[in-house]
Amino acid sequence: MYCVSKLNCKKSISGTITHRREIVKQIRAHRSMADTKSGRHASTSAATPLLVQSPENLECKNFQEYLRTRQTPESLEKLYSYPPICLAVFRELPEIARQFVIRILFVDQPVPQAVVSSWGAQRVAKEQLEATNCLSALSVWRVTAIPGGLAAWELSPTFKKSVRQVLLGGGKPWAITNSLERDSKPRDVAFLDAYAMSRWRCVLHYMVGTGNRSNTETEAISPDAVRILLHANLMKRDEREGITITRQGFQFLLLDTRAQVWHFMLQYLDTCQERGLVLAECLSMLFQLSFSTLGRDYSSEGMNKQMLMFLQHLREFGLVFQRKRKEHRFYPTRLALNVTNKEAAEASISVDEERMQERGYIVVETNYRVYAYTDSQLQVAVLGLFTELLYRFPNLVVGVLTRDSVRQALRGGITAEQIVSYLEQYAHPNMKLVESAIQSKSCLPPTVVDQIKLWEMERNRFTYTEGVVYNQFLSQNDFVTLRDYAQSQNVLVWQNERTRTMVVQKNGHDDVKRYWKKYSKSAG
Amino acid sequence: MESPDATANKEDEASIDLLAIVLDTNPSQLIVRQNPQNLTQILEAVIAFGNAHLMQKAQNKLAVLSCSHYTTEFLFPLPGRQVELRQIDAQYEAFSLVEKTVKQQLGSILMNAPRLSAPCESLLAGSMSMALCYISRLQRNVPAGVKMHSRILVITGSNECASQYMTFMNVFFTAQKLGIVVDTCALDKTLSLLQQGCDITNGQFLKVNQLDGLLQYLLWVFLPSPQMRHKLVLPPTPKVDYRASCFCHRELIDIGYVCSVCLSVFCKYSPICTTCHTIFKTPGPLPIKPKKKKKIDKN
Amino acid sequence: MVNVMKGVLVECDPAMKQFLLHLDEKLALGRKFIIQDLDENHLFISTDIVEVLQARVDELMDRISFPLHEKDP
Repeated sequence: MYCVSKLNCKKSISGTITHRREIVKQIRAHRSMADTKSGRHASTSAATPLLVQSPENLECKNFQEYLRTRQTPESLEKLYSYPPICLAVFRELPEIARQFVIRILFVDQPVPQAVVSSWGAQRVAKEQLEATNCLSALSVWRVTAIPGGLAAWELSPTFKKSVRQVLLGGGKPWAITNSLERDSKPRDVAFLDAYAMSRWRCVLHYMVGTGNRSNTETEAISPDAVRILLHANLMKRDEREGITITRQGFQFLLLDTRAQVWHFMLQYLDTCQERGLVLAECLSMLFQLSFSTLGRDYSSEGMNKQMLMFLQHLREFGLVFQRKRKEHRFYPTRLALNVTNKEAAEASISVDEERMQERGYIVVETNYRVYAYTDSQLQVAVLGLFTELLYRFPNLVVGVLTRDSVRQALRGGITAEQIVSYLEQYAHPNMKLVESAIQSKSCLPPTVVDQIKLWEMERNRFTYTEGVVYNQFLSQNDFVTLRDYAQSQNVLVWQNERTRTMVVQKNGHDDVKRYWKKYSKSAG
Repeated sequence: MESPDATANKEDEASIDLLAIVLDTNPSQLIVRQNPQNLTQILEAVIAFGNAHLMQKAQNKLAVLSCSHYTTEFLFPLPGRQVELRQIDAQYEAFSLVEKTVKQQLGSILMNAPRLSAPCESLLAGSMSMALCYISRLQRNVPAGVKMHSRILVITGSNECASQYMTFMNVFFTAQKLGIVVDTCALDKTLSLLQQGCDITNGQFLKVNQLDGLLQYLLWVFLPSPQMRHKLVLPPTPKVDYRASCFCHRELIDIGYVCSVCLSVFCKYSPICTTCHTIFKTPGPLPIKPKKKKKIDKN
Repeated sequence: MVNVMKGVLVECDPAMKQFLLHLDEKLALGRKFIIQDLDENHLFISTDIVEVLQARVDELMDRISFPLHEKDP
């Protein structure tokens, strides 16, 4: 245990402290630069979004959203011919939808819609409707007619066949499970975990460490990875600075590792067409890895050239481990497992595994102090985004959550929710023990969580909408007609029938004015 | 802000569901004696059902126990290293593992079973106790912050085993206390004891008439987790026979004698309670209440 | 004839609205900026004053908030 006074530590570990300060200063400088670049003052809050083009925030899609927005029914059909993809889609469905699918899985005829509606209890009609819509949107089932004219649901035949194969057998084995001879030097789970995290951290370090070229800790990452970061808008190319991190990049850093990996892979899949990869094959491979067993080796024999290239990329990001490039054997790591499913990833870590201790390192106290038991540059830099760092020890960093530090983060585009979830996710195991004793949802002190949210709400006391106000109507009818018209055009922002006043959006004003002219001409 | 329903749904999605299936593999069951193929059919349905449960969520867990007349054994999971398995078809390797392990284990149990001279009862209550022990061990090892919901499904074609009444009651009350749901799928007769157990633990009791549709029955009624069940329309619970069975003959009785110290039930009066050894005085003939003479109002 | 005016609709809580009315009355921003008082939660103000207004509001919020954590001297 290091027992160092505040003054001593500043003197003796000055080297590392100034280095750390460099990073944090750089991040803050970059942020204020970003602020001025987008034409906002440092003090302006979320007021301007509606007047000025609002800066984009990081959008993380889950698998369901990805499929619904990016894929057409035809492409979905193609995807469903791969059993691993069907299994992944099945697990993404809402619970009621899963029950429905299982029930119809072994029924060969279409099932009347009325029958399916009767399966759900009355009080959950809304949930049932959502589930039905979800199944239709994903083309898992479709409407057909049965003799007699009733509308019925029928599972997509490809989906049905694939799910039955996954459950009961039959069909071709998945590509990665060809048999292998026993590994002479098998890798255990601890090694794979360490490998995965060190590779993934390379990517994160690259995001944070750019600009500080003297930092030799970080390894360079391949141009492919840089390309994905640029495409995902997590970093951008600047003439003067080279490649720097963006606002979304900061928000990305605050996500938990699994969400980061998933978001990154989605971005990768977006660019896969350009690289000559087939999306369906990539998705299928990704999900085969997602459902594999940790600690087991798998074979890459029989994969075509594109898939082998995909595997090499996964190896670079730390999702698989392969001793040599030409080797046929590879081990999926924890990053690849359950890549879409956060809860499964959490639940799979059993108490015995020491990795638990490694993950959580932040303690948040009710006096807004934050203690982080870490010495990683990256983690300290991320903490510095929203806390004010006070002291630094070889194994501990002490900071405090102040109004200013949180507001600075909020200005940078980080939301209160992201800050809270980051603290929760890296909470020290001791914090979690307290949680189970007092039966609260979050292991952070509720005062601190509420205060962070209040600081965020403080910035949003106003909402502005540019518009045009109409008042002093001569008759009630005039008012009502114009108001209803504006409503139908979806440009009505506010109205008060009693005072005969209404406010219309700026862009709808011309339209409404024209209508009013036409109306008053025809009336008068 | 999310509605309380939405947050409850999210929590349910995040929790682990553990299903322990207690399968009655006693060869002296009527359905097995009638046609030994029935046992294979039941086994296939149970394996498919167990895999369907695992398919729901990646974090779901499964345990299968075999209950026979002389022992209870785990069919899945087996202690020690799992057998290395490579896929031979498109079945997910976790599901293939379940299928292979269960079939292998059951095969060896049936091969090594001692020969039966006469039909014997299945040790259902004992198997359920083993399932409870397994669930409780897993519950202790759950990582902090993760919730686990457990349930036991008993699939049996045996008759009523009134001799195991005490053990059954202990099992049911333990399950109730631990929040474990007990479901029963009866393949032959309606079993009132198991029905009582399902009733007090909020489980489902179902009597299946045709074995052919067993898998479909299991998937429709028993697959949804208890938290889901109130959202679906399921067969209504029939009226449960709550008669106790007497401790001396193990027969179900309507009226009997109850020891005031330990609450054990007897059909005949006995001066010493066999459970707690309290001594009771022999009651004399019941005293007759003196008839009240009607007061005639002499007015 | 119907009266038409261009500007910005502001939605806020009643307390903030009173603060805006106060600023308007005291001509704190150099001139009157409220075009119309719509209801308890809405005001209609002129467009060009928005940035300055936001700065004033931020200043007010800074003044009325006190540090929760005293840093060591």
